[in-house]
Amino acid sequence: MRIVEAFIGEYASGKSENAINRSLELLQQGREVTIVDLDTVEPFYTLRPLKKSLEQKGLRVIAWDPEETHGLGEAGSLLKQEMLWALRYSGDIIMDIGYGVHGAKIFNLIVGAETDPDLKIYAVVNITRPITGNKEDIVEYVQTLGRVDGIINNTHLGDETTKDLIEEGAEVVTAAAKELGLPVVYTAVVEDLRTQFDDCDAQGNPLKILHRFMPDAFW
Amino acid sequence: MFMSDKPIKGEKRVFMTGNEVCAWAALAADADIMYGYPITPQNEVMHYWTRLSPKHGRKFLQTEDEISAGFTTIGGVMAGRKSFSATAGPGNTLFQEPMSMAEMMRIPTVVIIMQRGGPSTATVIYSQQEVTMTTFGGNGEGFRVVYSTSGHQDLYDYTIKSFNTAWKYKFPTFVLGDGYQAKMREPLTMYDPAERGIEMVKPFPYVGKPGMPGTDRPTEYLRNTYNTEAELYDAIMEIARDYEKAAPEIIEWENVQTDDADTLIVAHGIVSRAARGAVETLRKDGIKAGHFRPITLRPFAEEELRKAASKAKNILVVESSYGQFLKLVKEYLYGLDKPIDTILRPGVGITAEEIVARIKEGR
Repeated sequence: MRIVEAFIGEYASGKSENAINRSLELLQQGREVTIVDLDTVEPFYTLRPLKKSLEQKGLRVIAWDPEETHGLGEAGSLLKQEMLWALRYSGDIIMDIGYGVHGAKIFNLIVGAETDPDLKIYAVVNITRPITGNKEDIVEYVQTLGRVDGIINNTHLGDETTKDLIEEGAEVVTAAAKELGLPVVYTAVVEDLRTQFDDCDAQGNPLKILHRFMPDAFW
Repeated sequence: MFMSDKPIKGEKRVFMTGNEVCAWAALAADADIMYGYPITPQNEVMHYWTRLSPKHGRKFLQTEDEISAGFTTIGGVMAGRKSFSATAGPGNTLFQEPMSMAEMMRIPTVVIIMQRGGPSTATVIYSQQEVTMTTFGGNGEGFRVVYSTSGHQDLYDYTIKSFNTAWKYKFPTFVLGDGYQAKMREPLTMYDPAERGIEMVKPFPYVGKPGMPGTDRPTEYLRNTYNTEAELYDAIMEIARDYEKAAPEIIEWENVQTDDADTLIVAHGIVSRAARGAVETLRKDGIKAGHFRPITLRPFAEEELRKAASKAKNILVVESSYGQFLKLVKEYLYGLDKPIDTILRPGVGITAEEIVARIKEGR
């Protein structure tokens, strides 16, 4: 079964980190995986600086090489034709949909997105971001995104993340998901904290252990 | 009058980008209205302000360009509203005309600058190349306050403080960030200023006051144009005296292990984080390095810099521009006989490792 997942969500909610981790997880299962950077606004702080290292791991990465954007001017925000046709690649497709509220609109441009039977769209939520800081705000925000098939609890505070904080996020996100009638796909747990958890969070949601790649995408 | 709930209650550890931090800080500082025109890398200051402000009874006006954004910010202030804007690069260039007027007329505007690469449009990404323009831009005398922030807690603290500095001293006040700070993400603590004992200065109108001027109240001359040299001279010298008087109350700086430092690294803004990291590494290796960071670039903690520098054997100035900050440092160290080495990287970030390497190389 082909896996096609798109990670959308609030600016700086952790879309790229979750997309990269998911891609590598599938790759480790011996699957063919393509990861697509669909941030058309930001020239940096996307997974672009990680493109080469991800390719070396065996992923097909559809993203601009930073060097390729030399000469494109202001934000270098053009779509590559491979991005338009990303859903036609064989194997699994993981899409990192950048740039906050407007990010989800890019599905208009991806050929076949509306009819793809396998496509799942997941909203990534971190409750330490005040704009999605409580149940009401999460519900309101997710409703602005259009189609969403599940919510990911990606609550963290960078290096200051604790188990309690993740569990607090799980509680709030689970309550919001219930109101929205959506499943919580998983709770993300940074690998340093993995031993503090059992198989799921206190709400019964499955866990996904994350390795942090994005700090290397800057400077 | 629309009375809204406090946007931030209690202390809250949060995770976000620097641009969002500024929007939240402006809310916490009771800002009434933002006037803005989009330019990367500050756009999300506007984006988040426009998302947050309707929920808290605040306002936003998108203008046709930055000249207009600057003048409408002045207009908002003259109407007695706490007004602010945010811009970058060529937008900052256009802001200089209205901000010169704000200097002349003593208008407490607040403008957040997220420096991008220059000259001209250059890159949308990062630099420290707006130091000269933000401190001494326009055809004025630099009667303004510039806070150079180094990360998200600073952006929150100094955006709030800027409103108070501006309204207390009546000088245009700038928060000087950069594209890295605008876009990077890190934790910070948000708080309601009142709960920390910070009293926000109440705004007051410049125009539209009750009563007939000259009869019911003294006549005020709100103007930026003067007939004669002598008249202008008196007006400017009065501003200069006020500025000099306020400066000691405004200046802020940080000393990092400067007491016994042989090498003094002088840096501001986000580069001071690299300098701090370099001091840590060098000290572990037995090299006596220290770091002086001016937080206000205008006015400048001149005596404090001279004190730190006079104890050192040599000085290293590090900045992401081709010597704009160096020019300030040299000005304030005039007459002090110390060799100055430099790392000048216009539009490019600088790491602690690069600073360490340079200092080790020079020994």
